[in-house]
Amino acid sequence: MARKTKNQAPAMKITWKEVKRQKFLLFWAAVFVVYGVVFYYLPLGGWLMAFQNYKPKDGLLHSKFVGLDKFKFLFSDATFLKVIRNTLAMGVINLVATFVMAILFAILLNEIRSRIGKKTVQTISYLPHFLSWIIVTGILHDALSTSGIVNEILMKLNIIDQAINFFAHPSYFWPIVAFANVWKETGWNAIIYLAAITSIDPCLYEAAAIDGAGRWAKIKYITLPGIRPTIMILLLMNIGNVLNAGFEVQYLLGNGLVKSVSETIDIYVLTWGISQNDYSLGTAAGIFKSLVSIILIILANQVAKRTGEERLF
Amino acid sequence: MKFKKLTALLMGVVMTASLLTGCGGSGDDSTSAPAQTDETTDAAQDSEDGDSASTEEAKTEYSDDEIIDFTCFVAMPGSEINDGNEVQEIIAKKTGVRVKETWLTGQTDAEAIGTIIAGGEYPDFINGGEAMKALYDAGALVAWDEYIEKYPNIKEMYSDEEWDKFRMDDGHIYWANVFQNKYGEDKTTTHNDEAFWVQVRVLEWAGYPEIKTLDQYFQLLEDYAAANPTMEDGTENIPYTILCEDWRYFCIENAPQFLDGYPNDGSVIVDVDNMKVVDYNTTDTAVKYFQKLNEEYNKGIVDPEFATQTYDEYIAKLSTGRVLGMCDQWWDFAYTVNDVFKQQGLDAKGCNYVPFGLTIEEGMENQWHSYGDTLNNSSGIAVTTSCSDVDAAFKFLSDCLDQEIHDLRFWGVEGVDYEVDENGLYYRTDEMRANAADTEYKASHLCSYSYFPQWLGTSKDGKNAMTPGEQPSEFMSGLAEPLVNCFNAYGVTTYVEMLGSAKVEVGPWYPMYSFSNAMTTETPGGVAWTKMGEIKHEWLPKVVMASDFQSTWEEYMSVYESADPQAFLDEMQEELERRAAAAQ
Repeated sequence: MARKTKNQAPAMKITWKEVKRQKFLLFWAAVFVVYGVVFYYLPLGGWLMAFQNYKPKDGLLHSKFVGLDKFKFLFSDATFLKVIRNTLAMGVINLVATFVMAILFAILLNEIRSRIGKKTVQTISYLPHFLSWIIVTGILHDALSTSGIVNEILMKLNIIDQAINFFAHPSYFWPIVAFANVWKETGWNAIIYLAAITSIDPCLYEAAAIDGAGRWAKIKYITLPGIRPTIMILLLMNIGNVLNAGFEVQYLLGNGLVKSVSETIDIYVLTWGISQNDYSLGTAAGIFKSLVSIILIILANQVAKRTGEERLF
Repeated sequence: MKFKKLTALLMGVVMTASLLTGCGGSGDDSTSAPAQTDETTDAAQDSEDGDSASTEEAKTEYSDDEIIDFTCFVAMPGSEINDGNEVQEIIAKKTGVRVKETWLTGQTDAEAIGTIIAGGEYPDFINGGEAMKALYDAGALVAWDEYIEKYPNIKEMYSDEEWDKFRMDDGHIYWANVFQNKYGEDKTTTHNDEAFWVQVRVLEWAGYPEIKTLDQYFQLLEDYAAANPTMEDGTENIPYTILCEDWRYFCIENAPQFLDGYPNDGSVIVDVDNMKVVDYNTTDTAVKYFQKLNEEYNKGIVDPEFATQTYDEYIAKLSTGRVLGMCDQWWDFAYTVNDVFKQQGLDAKGCNYVPFGLTIEEGMENQWHSYGDTLNNSSGIAVTTSCSDVDAAFKFLSDCLDQEIHDLRFWGVEGVDYEVDENGLYYRTDEMRANAADTEYKASHLCSYSYFPQWLGTSKDGKNAMTPGEQPSEFMSGLAEPLVNCFNAYGVTTYVEMLGSAKVEVGPWYPMYSFSNAMTTETPGGVAWTKMGEIKHEWLPKVVMASDFQSTWEEYMSVYESADPQAFLDEMQEELERRAAAAQ
């Protein structure tokens, strides 16, 4: 311990000269610290609401404190427990589906020889990313309706003899949401992997070819290990987002029949927090979500550390 | 300390002042109230005097710089009109106020209002649907009291007893409902409320049978659909559809109260004999009604997509004329759908809907139509604390009720949108009628400020109706031929007569939904009410679509009980007793 400090002491020493030399860097650093404090930490003051019976009229300063009442209400509410389950399930399904598809797609795209073909496919595939959810869900709603294209095709192919109302079955809901996510984001998510693939040294492929490696072997032994650090970092970052399983998709595609599987934490916050004006309850649910996300990301990072992979911190 | 004393003093002054004015108001009332029914003409005379004074004042046209631009949010879906809309400009010149209305899109009223409150910035005017209480709780609204006294047009909207119903727990009035308020003689032709509707062509085919019960209604739909599976152009008929999206799920949810012969108290039945609230979700009638829907669903009579359709899809479906019948509120579908029928010529093919006042058994009286004014004190138009010129805002609310402005809003411009005959009666030519149904024309020319104060009934001139739809000549000539034939066959002249509701005086507690709408999660009853709603949203469609009705219903009932509906009913009972006592 002592030796360490001694060793590092010269490097740590802050002199006025050094400060002056780095004044622009320090200035910008200060700007971002202020930005972070104002926009990320000060709003956390609003968390007080969760422990109050918040009334907009009285404001944060004059509302009555109720301790953990709101949290007690949350966890005794069967709907909230169901909502947590839905959020986690859809979050995990979406994560796995979009992740696997993006990697697969990037690798397949990388194998295309024709430059024009590759660029065209790439451009078309990432266009859906720029569509808003309201449009995507509109398309889905039409396509999957009883007179929509999907039912039409299935009926023409004699796979089914009566149109299926896809949105009426709770068991179809999660796959539909996952499909929507994959359709919308695969092309976009693949960009970063494609970039990572291009940074792999071409010599490796040449050497492998000389050793008699085919396409499959090249993918398995060069491409995949080459983009492994990227995969790990993205995976870690996305695990923190698992509870952000979505709001728009579920809100726009859901209906009374599939309520028990479609509602996420965000929708719960909307119905109880905003619509019923119980902002405190909404905040409590939000805090719960943030805490779980932080715990998830720390756990994932620990696992990465143990297995000697890339990690966030 | 000093500051506190000062505020206390100020408060005291203000309160005594308001007390005094309050006394003054009620004093006036005690003399005028009993006379009101007999002396409507006098009252009209008075107000005419008031009007001429205010129009004289308003004769000087406002120039562009003087016109104040206000914003208004209406927590209902609607269509925005174009900037520079012609009637809007005329009204702006006459009143000095132009209001930019924005409407609800893709949310519920509660969500939209909740978001606005959380943001803390309000439009000048707000019509928050059923979320007005939340705005009051947030301290976002300006009290009306002094302006009610200042502007006779506003005061005239309601009697003092009625105004009192709008008072919040601090004793002030913060909003006024703008609908279902009749001036002078009742001119109602349309049943603006809920009913089981059926297309005229179905009745024509069946030879205009008497339909009194739910069973007869569905039998009719079944027979027609069996004989006519498609429309003339080959589109498949949908015998019956049910809208259950979001708050509009009343289309599936509240029929049991009507089927039992009760009026639309909305959230409970009030059993008048022993003054008890009854939960209509669990009555025998409810079971019979949902069992019937379930049977019809399994027979293929009910639209297989009903549970998943959105409101837009529902309206689009109705607009094609394919749907033979449904249960809905007139205002929820008719304005859009009837316009489309007219434009597409579907009205001539008998696609228009007429209402039936069904009951569960034969020989019961129905109360689907409520004849008097329904005062829903839980919703209305309000001025917010963000409003830049509160007095101008109230003056505009008052001007809206000025007959000249009112005519501009609902009839349009004389010579362009309507003509006046030698007797002073307004009428429209076919072209004018077609224009009024044309979306393009409406957006660029007409401006009804439809969520601002307005009258139904007879115009202050004593001859015309306040709105074209209620002008007898307009109503009859606006009807397509099949509809006229249908009315003739049943020997009626209006939708209301078609329905044949009993003329029952509703109690002073009516409508109970104005209380349940304003419930919050503060109370166990409010929490239960929200949960019950969530559960019904999920289970009612499930029950209808079940392959085994009995077991699904039992499952539904056990989930329903878990929401503790008794807590809700107890609070409703308490409110019923409070309202009944307050009326005595």
